[in-house]
Amino acid sequence: MTPLKDVQKEQRCFHCGDVVVKANYEVDGHDFCCLGCKSVYQVLNQHKLTHYYKYNTHPGISIRKDKSQYFYLEDEGIANSLLDYKDDHIAAVTLYVPTIHCSSCIWLLENLHKLQQGVTNTRADFLRKEVRITFCHDIIKLKQLVELLTEIGYAPIITLKDTLSKSEKKDSNRLVRKIAVAGFCFGNSMMISFPEYFGLGTFERNYAQLFGVVNLLFTLPIMLYSGQDYFVSSIKSIRQGHLNLDIPLTLGIIVLFLRSVWEILSGSGAGFSDTLCGLLFFLLIGRWVQQKTYHHLSFERDYRSYFPVAVTKIDAGEEKTVALSALQVGDRILIRNNEIIPADAILLKGAARIDFSFVTGESSPVDKILGEIIYAGGKQTEQVIELEVVKPVSQSYLTSLWNDQKNKKEQVFFQSFSNKISRYFTPILLLIAFISLFFWFYIGEPGRAWSAFTAVLIIGCPCALALSSPFTLSAVLSVFDRNGLFMKDTLAIEKMAGIDTLVFDKTGTISTLHQKELPFKGSLPAMEASMVFSVCRNSNHPLSRKIVQSLQDTCEILPISSYAEIPGKGIRAIIKNKEVLIGSYSFVVGTDVQFYKGPGTYVRIDEHVRGVFSMEQKWRDGLESLIKALSSSYELHLLSGDVDRDSSVLSSLFPQRDYLNFNQLPADKLHYISSLQQNGKKVAMIGDGLNDAGALKCADLGLAVSDDVNNFSPACDAIMSGASFSKFCRFLGFSKKAMHIIYCSFAISLLYNIVGMYFATQGNLSPLLAAILMPLSTITIISFTSLTTRLYARKYTL
Amino acid sequence: MQLETFNYDNKIVRNFGIATIFWGIVGMSVGLLVAVQLVWPFMNFNTPFTTFGRIRPLHTNAVIFAFVGNGIFMGVYYSLQRLLKARMYSDLLSRIHFWGWQLIILAAAITLPLGFTTSHEYAELEWPIDIAITIIWVVFGINMFGTIIKRRERHMYVAIWFYIATFVTIAVLHIVNSVELPIAAWKSYYLYAGVQDALVQWWYGHNAVAFFLTTPYLGMMYYFLPKMANRPVYSYKLSILHFWSLIFIYIWAGPHHLLYTSLPSWAQSLGVVFSIMLIAPSWGGMINGLLTLRGAWDKVRTEPTLKFMVVALTAYGMATFEGPMLSLKQVNAIAHFTDWIVAHVHVGALGWNGFMTFAILYWAIPKIYGTALHSKKMASVHFWVGTLGILFYAIPMYWAAVVQGLMWKEFTPEGVLKYPTFLSTTLQILPMHMLRAIGGALYLSGALLMTYNLIRTMQKGKLIANEPAEAMALPPIHTNEKSIHRRLERKPALFMVIALIVILIGGMVEMMPTFMISSNVPTISSVKPYTPLELQGRDIYIREGCVNCHSQTVRPFRSETVRYGEYSKAGEFVYDHPFLWGSKRTGPDLHRVGKKYPNKWHYDHLLDPTLTSPGSIMPPYPWLINQKIDTASTAAKITAMRKLGVPYPKEYENYANKDLLQQAKSIVDDLKQSEVDVLSDREIIAIVAYLQRLGTDIKVTEK
Amino acid sequence: MSAIFFLIACSVFIALFFLGAFFWANKNGQHDDTYTPAIRILFEDDVISDGQENEKGVDESELNK
Repeated sequence: MTPLKDVQKEQRCFHCGDVVVKANYEVDGHDFCCLGCKSVYQVLNQHKLTHYYKYNTHPGISIRKDKSQYFYLEDEGIANSLLDYKDDHIAAVTLYVPTIHCSSCIWLLENLHKLQQGVTNTRADFLRKEVRITFCHDIIKLKQLVELLTEIGYAPIITLKDTLSKSEKKDSNRLVRKIAVAGFCFGNSMMISFPEYFGLGTFERNYAQLFGVVNLLFTLPIMLYSGQDYFVSSIKSIRQGHLNLDIPLTLGIIVLFLRSVWEILSGSGAGFSDTLCGLLFFLLIGRWVQQKTYHHLSFERDYRSYFPVAVTKIDAGEEKTVALSALQVGDRILIRNNEIIPADAILLKGAARIDFSFVTGESSPVDKILGEIIYAGGKQTEQVIELEVVKPVSQSYLTSLWNDQKNKKEQVFFQSFSNKISRYFTPILLLIAFISLFFWFYIGEPGRAWSAFTAVLIIGCPCALALSSPFTLSAVLSVFDRNGLFMKDTLAIEKMAGIDTLVFDKTGTISTLHQKELPFKGSLPAMEASMVFSVCRNSNHPLSRKIVQSLQDTCEILPISSYAEIPGKGIRAIIKNKEVLIGSYSFVVGTDVQFYKGPGTYVRIDEHVRGVFSMEQKWRDGLESLIKALSSSYELHLLSGDVDRDSSVLSSLFPQRDYLNFNQLPADKLHYISSLQQNGKKVAMIGDGLNDAGALKCADLGLAVSDDVNNFSPACDAIMSGASFSKFCRFLGFSKKAMHIIYCSFAISLLYNIVGMYFATQGNLSPLLAAILMPLSTITIISFTSLTTRLYARKYTL
Repeated sequence: MQLETFNYDNKIVRNFGIATIFWGIVGMSVGLLVAVQLVWPFMNFNTPFTTFGRIRPLHTNAVIFAFVGNGIFMGVYYSLQRLLKARMYSDLLSRIHFWGWQLIILAAAITLPLGFTTSHEYAELEWPIDIAITIIWVVFGINMFGTIIKRRERHMYVAIWFYIATFVTIAVLHIVNSVELPIAAWKSYYLYAGVQDALVQWWYGHNAVAFFLTTPYLGMMYYFLPKMANRPVYSYKLSILHFWSLIFIYIWAGPHHLLYTSLPSWAQSLGVVFSIMLIAPSWGGMINGLLTLRGAWDKVRTEPTLKFMVVALTAYGMATFEGPMLSLKQVNAIAHFTDWIVAHVHVGALGWNGFMTFAILYWAIPKIYGTALHSKKMASVHFWVGTLGILFYAIPMYWAAVVQGLMWKEFTPEGVLKYPTFLSTTLQILPMHMLRAIGGALYLSGALLMTYNLIRTMQKGKLIANEPAEAMALPPIHTNEKSIHRRLERKPALFMVIALIVILIGGMVEMMPTFMISSNVPTISSVKPYTPLELQGRDIYIREGCVNCHSQTVRPFRSETVRYGEYSKAGEFVYDHPFLWGSKRTGPDLHRVGKKYPNKWHYDHLLDPTLTSPGSIMPPYPWLINQKIDTASTAAKITAMRKLGVPYPKEYENYANKDLLQQAKSIVDDLKQSEVDVLSDREIIAIVAYLQRLGTDIKVTEK
Repeated sequence: MSAIFFLIACSVFIALFFLGAFFWANKNGQHDDTYTPAIRILFEDDVISDGQENEKGVDESELNK
């Protein structure tokens, strides 16, 4: 049989690139791994869309999602709530399609109109993994559209959140426009100011006035348009009573403007128009840099991002779709395979095998018996079940947990370093200004007094100061980004630097399920392995697929005489007159034999239980060394959702035995964190899954670990890809260094201010000096920060 | 909204492509001839029409506006249609554009050798052709914006922005720099005089380079390079940033062409600063282009087109770095007026424009002929020959520049010029000029190889005149936000056209008056208008293109004041319509040549330069002795000059010719004394008169 | 130096024009997606690729309307 084996090894699915285990899906010379891939190919081929395969090899995604999950789109109301726009026949919708991964995807999605009549236009956004579709809703309904996408492997993810307020992304373009205006005015007023600085020919004197006025004209848009934010925010901060850095900035801006107006109109000087324009230009750029975040990752996920939009309600024997909000206690609901249970409910009918990994972090599915309460957030992994809601969505265990800690969140207010500084900065600045004012009055030079007063405020304007942290932090941000750590914003980095206590979640955080081969506990001779392989090949159950993948290299296909798949239990088949049972413990092992009981898929051949394909988690690589490194400088805690199975291993890993906690419910985790905080600890929670969501939000720094950063991860300050878990220690160190850089740059910019003060207090501040000093300091700061950051990054090999 | 099927117009692309090749060969050949003439004067063939001064402009115009120009249109017409998923707005306009442009070039090729020139570098063409250019350019604009309006792809790829910038800016530049007062069918005077004229010219000159030789090619780079490498541009964000920053900085950099001239110092510094600032966006663009090929270098090894692109980008990088460096006063002091400038522009022209044009031709022609390139091997041979050509061109020229620049400035310990005779410095660099000619020859032969290769390709395939394509119609933007100019936003093109008109009208209305008021350059009492004879002489000087080799501005350096005399003052040029400062000193500066030599010397020198200066490479001008001065035009010229503010007395035009003859006679008499017999109505008299007048208005005592 | 002011004015006006253009582009959402367009231009106009049969493909979609 060896030749056959080789052939099998060679074959890769023309569509998705998976190894072809079954040779009988074959169309015009191409092999396919499954019916799904084959049918997609056929559909595309029939519509002359085979270019799809031209731009990339194996661009497809083998379908796992079944399209029945979108049943709720039948409901007009729900469907409409998803639309961006709708008129009497055109509608537009934006869908989140995480499976977009290559140019072929874009090509196919944007040629959707060839595949489906009624689609008028499709535009994909690769980075956001979104696709915006315009379609005639009198020809095709949203449901069909979504199902079509699912069929071709681009199943959109629609959650409760999408139906709520359309996430109106704050218009960062506005800022860009302001920068453009500022830049325009800066460039021109700089040009107009050149004659002043480089000396006018005598015959140009009569133009000096004209220049001044033109300059003023250029400052107007700066004041009226570009500058707005600063005025607003400083007024705000005065109202709230904590002085932020925008106040001295605003002061400087206003003074610059007024003095320029005065000088130019009175003809007493050239004014500071170009300085003013430059100042705002640089400041706004700083702001823009600070805004830098990763749009394609969402950090603001709460339970709504997990819950379905609607469920099937059974009302007087007939099924109908209800929006989640409309779900009430006592309703009977239907949960299909892979659907999430939206509210705490009692199991009434069907074999419930619930995957609670979202909620508890416990990896292996749990069997539930009739009459048991199933908490919201669990996912049914078997056939259809019926439940009765006992708590409305809003009050169900998870949701309530969410809401009550959300209120807590409001009180916590993080003071960024620059805010701390500015609390002192402004008063001191004003002090100096007034001192010099009164001093000159005292001397008896009122004219000079005013110029000194204004000059101080101008020079004191902490432009470089305001730029140092955004530029440093954004540089750090991009370093982290390169290394698979995505920060929500620059503030998160400052938070990270302050951390002294680390709390780890176990499952999915320090351990992971992602592994190629399934370890088999027990003994399975080659022959029997082939039998198991041949049996599993016939099943589409995810576990069977996993087993097939792990065995395919070593096994060959054997003829099967009988085959039966028992929902919720497993597979019974006959090969070579031997009975093969594959499935759950109860189904395979039964009660008679005593055998290691753990999560996994069991195998019995005839009367002998051969063993189990265990679903054990395995530690992330580099965990041990990481913990060692961290333990020196941090206080380490562990909160595990599941039973203390590996407590022995962990206690050897973690320094303090008593900081290990098991059987932690989400609420416990939350309280554990807050209690730590009450003891004055700066806590970072490192977790994944919804069960940590509360803790993540409550902690000073919530860091979600995810193996696929584009997949769901709960609300947090940062998302770290599992691959870069081992770098965590270096991340922390680097963030600390980043703060040092900021301190230094602050020092430098203060130096500049002091130098300027020397001239300012004497009231002789020439426009040229201002025009040079301001950009000079800015440029020094920017280059300093970005250089040192790169340097440290190299030092930390990030 | 439904699926619309349409056709791309490949015929127009093909036509522009062929025009590009044809004019490219012509332009380069003329260039080669010009180069040879600088080594062997006899290559001027002793006829006015083939003399360096007249055909050097022919070379520059042919290369810039014929070769590169057609190249641009080829690239734009190919990429624009595909980027916007629409056929060109109107086939008729396309055709008018094509034939119009070819006629303009033809006109240039005829008028320039005939000596019809405005003497403004890269804008030599006389007013009727200027008008034609304007019209055709507008046609091009309508065609482009029309296409943009009926586009089927909402997003306008960055390349299109570069094209728009090109159109708008060139339109404004061309108009501003062509404000001429016609006095005859093929003769006109510029509105501005002296310093102002120089300023306008170099504002144009620089930005023409920026927006005719750079932005459109950047646009094409952003389209064709990804297509050739079949991978997206390294960073699209960066490319957008590149465009906007380039646009906002480029405009100001012009004045650096006039360092150390009589331009106010602040304007010069302005030019320097902005030129330096230009490095950032330029290099951003180059890096973006080169990084696009990261991980595709294996492709570069096999694909000649990519080879060309790589060298093109590198050349762009070099040129854009070199430019700002040259604008630094210290560097400029040495490099200006030398071959350095020639090398600089040729690195740009041969490397950046030439090579990218070749790459696009090699890539696009097979595509629109639905076949493969006849021979890749031949193409890469072309690549290597071309690259070699560039090296052979550039290196000797840089070398020559440094050698000559230093010789001009070298003093003996005793404090006198080491090389007092200009000619000795010229002879020094002749070998380098020979090498340069070889380089040019290599480059040209490469182009010929390409021509053969492409002809074979065309024969092999068949032109897909109308290439079918399909796309969904553009759905209207659905937003609830209501702003005033939303309607305009729907139609970007309309919006832009209106804005452009506003600009032009606004600009003119605002600024025209300042022209009419007497120019407020410090006038020097002793500076007087030219006499009719001198004026005629000056026009002959312009006609013969003397300005191509002789500057007329002495910079305030010891080395120059010692060599030529008192440095030039702004006030001396107030009556110069146009200015004749020149940009290259193949021969010595002439601003202080007046009264330096006897009339006979000039007579002999023009008759045969080697008589007075043995070994001179200046061509002889025997025809000046046979041709009569066109006295009929004197009156018209005087009136025109008066219109432009030159204070000729009233009615002077009526008896101007009397003065003319009188002055001519005096010169003739003087020549008689030195045994030279010539009639007083000959052109040589006029030009001698003009030369003898040059720079004599202010006495050296007036320091 | 009237010319210089004229030139400055011209330059400013050109710059102003481009500022306007920038605003239009920015408002119009030209800068919203700064990645996909770069990929989009690489796609062939596929009618070419598989000639007459694709004409059929076109017809189909025509019918669909």
